[in-house]
Amino acid sequence: MDSKATKCLIYCAIGFVLVVFLFPVVWVALISFKNPVDAFSIPPKWFFTPTLENHIFIWVEKRFLQYLKNSLLVSLCTPIISISVSSMAAYAFSRWRNRISRFSLFFILTFRMVPVILIILPLYVIVQKVGMQDNIFTLMIIYAALNIPFTLWLLRGFFIDIPLALDESAMIDGCTRFGAFWRVVLPSASPGLIAASIFSFGLAWNEYFVALCLTGIRTKLLTVAAAEYRGELIQYWSYSAAAAVGIVLPAVIFMMVVQKYFARGLTFGAVKG
Amino acid sequence: MAKVVMKGVSKHFGAVEAVKNFSLTVEDKEFVILLGPSGCGKSTALRMVAGLEHPTEGTIYIGDHKVNRLAPRDRDIAMVFQEYALYPHMTVYKNLAFGLKLRKFSKGEIDQRVRDASKILGMEGLLDRKPRELSGGQRQRVAVGRAIVRKPSVFLFDEPLSNLDAKLRVQMRAELSKLHERLQTTIIYVTHDQVEAMTMGTKIVVMKDGVIQQIGPPLDVYDLPVNLFVAGFIGSPMMNFVPCRIVSKDGRLFLDAKSFELTIPETKARYYKSLVGADVIFGIRPDDIHSRSDGSDHPETGSLRATVDVVEPLGPEIQLYVKVGQHDLIACVGARTSVRVRQEIELVLDLEKMHIFEGDPPNPRVKTDF
Repeated sequence: MDSKATKCLIYCAIGFVLVVFLFPVVWVALISFKNPVDAFSIPPKWFFTPTLENHIFIWVEKRFLQYLKNSLLVSLCTPIISISVSSMAAYAFSRWRNRISRFSLFFILTFRMVPVILIILPLYVIVQKVGMQDNIFTLMIIYAALNIPFTLWLLRGFFIDIPLALDESAMIDGCTRFGAFWRVVLPSASPGLIAASIFSFGLAWNEYFVALCLTGIRTKLLTVAAAEYRGELIQYWSYSAAAAVGIVLPAVIFMMVVQKYFARGLTFGAVKG
Repeated sequence: MAKVVMKGVSKHFGAVEAVKNFSLTVEDKEFVILLGPSGCGKSTALRMVAGLEHPTEGTIYIGDHKVNRLAPRDRDIAMVFQEYALYPHMTVYKNLAFGLKLRKFSKGEIDQRVRDASKILGMEGLLDRKPRELSGGQRQRVAVGRAIVRKPSVFLFDEPLSNLDAKLRVQMRAELSKLHERLQTTIIYVTHDQVEAMTMGTKIVVMKDGVIQQIGPPLDVYDLPVNLFVAGFIGSPMMNFVPCRIVSKDGRLFLDAKSFELTIPETKARYYKSLVGADVIFGIRPDDIHSRSDGSDHPETGSLRATVDVVEPLGPEIQLYVKVGQHDLIACVGARTSVRVRQEIELVLDLEKMHIFEGDPPNPRVKTDF
C-alpha cells in the first residue's frame, strides 16, 4: 500500500477515535447551553438558541464558585504535599538499592492497587474520631497519601537516571546529603517533578468517592456537587451538564498549558543524549 | 597543600575485599598515579581519600588530620569525576562558583576566582553556557576548573580522560601536567591507561586485586618491574614472556626455551646462578628486540631466527608479531625495514635488558639483579 493511502488510513483511524472520545464531551457541552426542551428533544437539535441560564443557575445561584475554590485548593495543595514526601522517599530508594529497599518499594506500591472503597469506612471512622470531618486539610492529606505510591514510583525512575557522581560532587563541593538532594538532584529532575505534579493534580481534581464520603457543606468539591444533579427531572441534567463543563474546562486549559512539560517529563531520559 | 598518608587501609563490600592493607604516602605537591586494570581497587582507594567510602580498617591522614570519619566537604579536597558530574541546571559560571558560594565566600572573591580559573583553562567565553551546550573537552575543563577555584589541599582525579577521544586525551594530558607545574598541588590520579601513568605522574602505584604491586617513579616501574603482572601491565606493546629453564653448560648460563636457546650475558649471569635447573619466565620488551636487517645500531647480546606472522606499520616503527618455534613474540623494528608476512628474519635482542621471573603462579616475582 503506498504511503499516501497509508497516511489517509491512519488519519481516518485517528479521526474515528477522536470522535468516539470527544463526542460525549461535546454533547455535554452543547446540552449545557441548551434549554431542557432542546437538550433532550428527539430527533436531537443541532441548531438552537444558546442560553446561559443553566450556567448562571449552577455558578451563581447554587454557589458552585465556592466548590470550584475548594477543588482548586485541594488539587493544588495535594501535589505540594505528595511531591514533598515522595521526592525524598524516591531519592532514598534511588540511592540505596538493595533487597530491603526493593521489597519496601513493592510493598508501598501495592497500596495503590487497593480499591478506595475498601479503605473508606476505616478512613471515615478515623477522620470522625479525630474531629477532622468536613475539613479541607483532611482531603489534602488523604489525597496526598493516595498519590504518594504513584509519584514515588515515577520520581524514583527519574532520580535513578541522575548519576550518583552528581550527588558526590555536590557533597565534595560543600553540601550535606540533603543539600546535595535539594540543590542539585531535585532541580536536575524538574521534568519528573512537573510530570508527577500534573498527575497528582489530575487525580485530586477528578476524585469523587473520598470527597463524597468525607466532605460536608463547607468543603464540598465540584465533582460531588455536580453529581447531586442526577435525577429524573430533565432540568437537572442540564444543570449537571453545566457543572460538568465547569469541571472539565479548567482541566483542559491547564493541560493545554502544561502538555509540553508533561510530555517532556514522561519521555525524559528515554533516549540517551 | 598537604601530604596524604594511608596506613593499612582495607575496604570490604560484604564478602568482597576491594582494597587490602593499602599503605601509601603521597608527599606534598606529588603527582601520584594509581594504576591498574578495572576492578583492582584504585577508585575505591581514591574514594576513601575523598570520604565517599569509609575504610573498613586502617587510617587516612590529610595533612595532620585523621579524616576517616570526616565528611567529604570537611576534607579540603576537590575531585574531578570520569563523567564530569557538572550540574546540568547551572551555567558554567554557577558550576564553578557553587562550592565557593556554599563556603560563604564574598561575591567579589567568587567572581575573581572563577574568572582566574576560566582564564587558566581558556574558557572565558563559556561562562554563560549550560553543560549540555559544551563539547566533551569543554565539560572536562569545567570539571577541572570547578576543582581549581576551591584551591584545595589535594586534587583527586578519577579517570577524568576516559570519556574523551584519543586526540583530546593527548591534549588534556599535557594540560593537566602543565596545571600541576603551575599550581604545585598534591594530586592523586586514578587511571587504567598506562600511557597516562607514564607521562603524567611523578610516582606510579600499580595495583591488582586490591593490593599494591609496586610503587615507584615511572621509569623505575618500566625498567625494573617487581613481578610478572607489573611487567606485563606497563609498556605497550606488552612485554614478551617465554617459559624456559636456566641451564649451565661449559661454565656459562643459557635460557633453554625448547625451541630456542639464548646465552645469558656475563653481566647478568652471576645473579641467576641460584636458578640453574629451575623453571622460570624470561621477559624482554618488544623495544629491546630488533631486526638485523633494519640497519640501525642496536645493542646485541643475543639473536633468534623467527617467522613473521603479522606486520603492523605504526608510522615511527613497525610492530612485528613473529613465531620462534612454538613461541609468539613481538618485536619493534625500524619504520623502513623491508619485511613481509611469512618471511624468515633474524632478530637481535638486547639481553642486558632481559628479566627473569621465578616463583609460583599467578604472579611470579622478578629475580632482582639490582
